Amino acid sequence: MMQTLKLVFSNYFYIVLSSVIFTFMLIGLLVISEYIFLDPYLIGHIPQGTEFGFVLIVILSILSALVIPMNIYRINILKKSKGKMRSSVFSSFIGSIAGACSCGPIGFAVVSTFGSVGATALSFLTNFELPIRVGAIGLLAFTYYTTVKSLKIECQVI
Amino acid sequence: MNKKGILIGIIISIVILSVIVAYSSSSVETENLDVRTYGTVSTTMGSPIMGDSSAPITIVEFGDYQCHQCYNWFHNTKPPLFQNYIDTGKVNFVFVDLAFLGRDSPKAAQASYCAEDQGKYWEYHNHLYNSQESQIDNGWANSERLKAFAFSLDLDMELFDDCLDSGKYTKRVQYNIDEAKKLGANGTPTFFIVGPDGQQQKLVGAQPYSVFKQVLDSMI
Repeated sequence: MMQTLKLVFSNYFYIVLSSVIFTFMLIGLLVISEYIFLDPYLIGHIPQGTEFGFVLIVILSILSALVIPMNIYRINILKKSKGKMRSSVFSSFIGSIAGACSCGPIGFAVVSTFGSVGATALSFLTNFELPIRVGAIGLLAFTYYTTVKSLKIECQVI
Repeated sequence: MNKKGILIGIIISIVILSVIVAYSSSSVETENLDVRTYGTVSTTMGSPIMGDSSAPITIVEFGDYQCHQCYNWFHNTKPPLFQNYIDTGKVNFVFVDLAFLGRDSPKAAQASYCAEDQGKYWEYHNHLYNSQESQIDNGWANSERLKAFAFSLDLDMELFDDCLDSGKYTKRVQYNIDEAKKLGANGTPTFFIVGPDGQQQKLVGAQPYSVFKQVLDSMI
């Protein structure tokens, strides 16, 4: 597993890509989920009872930052299919929007734009925020496992 | 000429009558309510004032009873804020509904005003936030539960049921939602902190106590 990671991340481009994905996802999700506030002061806090949600965001960001660059590597270097790439981007996206849609401006915009249909979708995403995130993390972990496995075979990593 | 004059007179009378009727119907719910405006924020249709009404600073919260971030703020930030600023008379507090999250949200807001009719707005408000469940529209704030909350607060159930079932405060809650939108509040909770010289600070989200402290201390 370490050999596979070394193989992908020995290329400087994939380290940068991974760092960018991790930073944007982590900070973006922490802002949207109100763990970080930018205005009027830059401040971060974890309210009591929301610790699990915070941990899930960190795990989701780490996995996305690992799996997406690895699949881009597969596509670029090995010219392999985009199936795993699609599944990793899909998982990251679903995991992200699960927490993004709540009482905040995004949720408000969804309800204002789509009316009762938007409200129903919003309720679903809010009510099942944690299970959806856990599911997305599970899917990302599975994609990571299969990607490492296929890279081992495709690149004949020992 | 005479016929024309009569016709114009009738039209003018109809217009005047329409204006009077429209004005009187829209002002029905403002009867017995003081006009309360802080900075650019009108809270006339909002909650009663919590704390000293002559306090130099007012915090206006736009919230939804089904919003989990409002719940977080209620349980994490509000206690020290009330202890250090509201209870000491430095600041007062008003809650205004921005009930948009689900079908039970406006009903819960209306129920709080039905409780206000019996002098228990804040008890009911607190009861709602203490009873909030994590899922929106799962039934925790449906009409039956709202009535059960009223019963547990020893409210007159005949009055409360009549008030809630008749939709007495439907327009009031809608007015508050419209007021929030006018002010650019597009999420809950959103706070407007209005200082003694009319200076106004908008805080979006369930921000921690330290942020409120800094803003309030800069205004005192």
